[in-house]
Amino acid sequence: MTENAKAARKKKIAHVVMWIVLLILFVCFIFPFLLVVINVFKTKGDITADPLSLIGAHGFTLQNFPEAMKKMNFLTVFGNSLIITVCSTILTIVLSSMTAFVIVRNGRWKLCTLIFSLMIASMVIPFQVLMVPLVSVYGPILNSRITLILMHVGFSMSMAVFMFHGSIKTNIPLELEEAATIDGCNRWQTYWKVVFPLLKPTIATVGIINAMAYWNDYLLPSLVLKKKELYTIPIATQAFYGTYSTDIGLIMAALLLAMLPILILYVFLQRYIVEGVTSGAVKG
Amino acid sequence: MSEVILKGIKKIYDGDVTAVHDVNIHIKDKEFIVLVGPSGCGKSTTLRMVAGLEDISDGELYIDGKLCNDVEPKDRDIAMVFQSYALYPHMTVRDNLGFALKLKKVPKAEIKRKVEEVARVLDITQYLDRKPKALSGGQRQRVAIGRAMVRDPKVFLMDEPLSNLDAKLRNQMRAEIIKLRSRINTTFMYVTHDQTEAMTLGDRIVIMKDGFVNQIGTPQELFGKPVNLFVAGFIGMPVMNFFAGCNLLLEGGKYYAEIRNVKFELDEFQQKALKSRNQKPCEIICGIRPQHITVGEGELSAKVEVSELLGTEFNLHARSGDDEVVMVIPTMDLNTDVSMGANIKFTVQPKLIQLFDKETKNNLIWYDPVSAKANAPECARY
Repeated sequence: MTENAKAARKKKIAHVVMWIVLLILFVCFIFPFLLVVINVFKTKGDITADPLSLIGAHGFTLQNFPEAMKKMNFLTVFGNSLIITVCSTILTIVLSSMTAFVIVRNGRWKLCTLIFSLMIASMVIPFQVLMVPLVSVYGPILNSRITLILMHVGFSMSMAVFMFHGSIKTNIPLELEEAATIDGCNRWQTYWKVVFPLLKPTIATVGIINAMAYWNDYLLPSLVLKKKELYTIPIATQAFYGTYSTDIGLIMAALLLAMLPILILYVFLQRYIVEGVTSGAVKG
Repeated sequence: MSEVILKGIKKIYDGDVTAVHDVNIHIKDKEFIVLVGPSGCGKSTTLRMVAGLEDISDGELYIDGKLCNDVEPKDRDIAMVFQSYALYPHMTVRDNLGFALKLKKVPKAEIKRKVEEVARVLDITQYLDRKPKALSGGQRQRVAIGRAMVRDPKVFLMDEPLSNLDAKLRNQMRAEIIKLRSRINTTFMYVTHDQTEAMTLGDRIVIMKDGFVNQIGTPQELFGKPVNLFVAGFIGMPVMNFFAGCNLLLEGGKYYAEIRNVKFELDEFQQKALKSRNQKPCEIICGIRPQHITVGEGELSAKVEVSELLGTEFNLHARSGDDEVVMVIPTMDLNTDVSMGANIKFTVQPKLIQLFDKETKNNLIWYDPVSAKANAPECARY
């Protein structure tokens, strides 16, 4: 066998191995999701009897959805989740991009460098360490959507500022801002009319990553929100876990309802996520 | 009236790095002035100080008679074209052109009228609804110029606007700028490092080096009357030939320039100028433009190293002693062998020889200490 043929064969084997590994990983990740989708259309008995069958012995049913929605007070908790996620995401995007803009354009100001360094350093502190002090300090203002929104924003600012910092530094030429200044923009107008629209890929990335985190977050809302009428979807799914019995069908329906909006958002914005994450990696 | 006066303008960074030293320029109403010099000479910094993008460390800036040191850029009534065009990528050409007017809260109908008028003048009407990324370099440059034009500013600032274009497009756009200038008839300040642009566009040219103004004058003045060695070498293509180790002699009340042991009696004007400043005989550097050399006869000799035929003329690179001499000879005037390795005779009219002091590098005829002091006190060091 010639050297060339050997190399080609080696390449082919590597290719096949890579695909097998990818396939295994894909199945590992997609399996839980598939399990939810399959079982959500079965009765409780069918799920227990054969969780892997596509259609249960009692056939296809949509009964789990209305029951789950009623039990978890779906409209209220969906509204809560929506308000908290949308407000937190918008505030995170606006505040962190503004902060990053100031830090990047005042790089020679030592305070900016210090603040940025502190923000980066804060990313290594695990949330669990802050849980107890957080509840004890903010005790009087807990049980409010606004408190949760502000906490969400506070916890995600560092990462968001870090991402916007890189994006502004690499993708927004200073000359654009100077042109805006000469055209008559003040600092705010320069940011809002020129810089902010150019951050679209990073806005989408920060938006989707944080929206997913806020929507799916269980720990922080469970610490902050104690009143039932303020519950978000992840907390509301608790209602299905009884001490003696758990209705798997209803849980599956609730979980699917919970993940559906964010899944739709992800499908629409996924191309920006990749764009945003890689922006600045290569000079364009 | 839109005069721009720079009075003792200085730019000092971080307290000790001086980028621009004591610049004094009086730009007349509707004048096209070009700031030219090598990279890092302070020309762009000077322009940016006029635009308000850089603080002025010292001195006074007047635009239209008003002290503008602390006036915001938007209130200076200036417009600027950047080297990288600086078009807003997320806006269409129409929005780019109308952005400044929109910020000024000009009525929509008026914005539309002005934008379309400028687009027509610059021949970019068909691109109004495109985004900048869908335009070529030349079209983008036109939009950048249009964005400045639409504001109808008192002063038009241009920072190397053609340096991102290829040679052919640059020539085209240079002609466009000349036409544009005659059309809009306002004051222009133009920065470039390209002396051809400076010579073809400017009513007057300001030559800068290391933050100092070396000379301010018309293209003809800079070409024919360079005040120092730097200006002489910077202006003109091919660059002026410099002969080191020459002498200025005074014999029988007459001045002579001695190049390679050949004496040239200076002309009447040069004699007068040297006498008026009571010039003593000294060692000098002689400068001769390649276009002023006559080949075929004369007292000086050289050996041709490279002979370039450029159609109507020959560029000869020859060696005379230790110096490389470049000569531009019209093809039709040539009746001698200029092939590689040929020995040629050449000469020059004495009145066309530039005489530079070996120590100060100043022109013994054209350097005027009084006007030099007015422009930049330290310019004499060149």
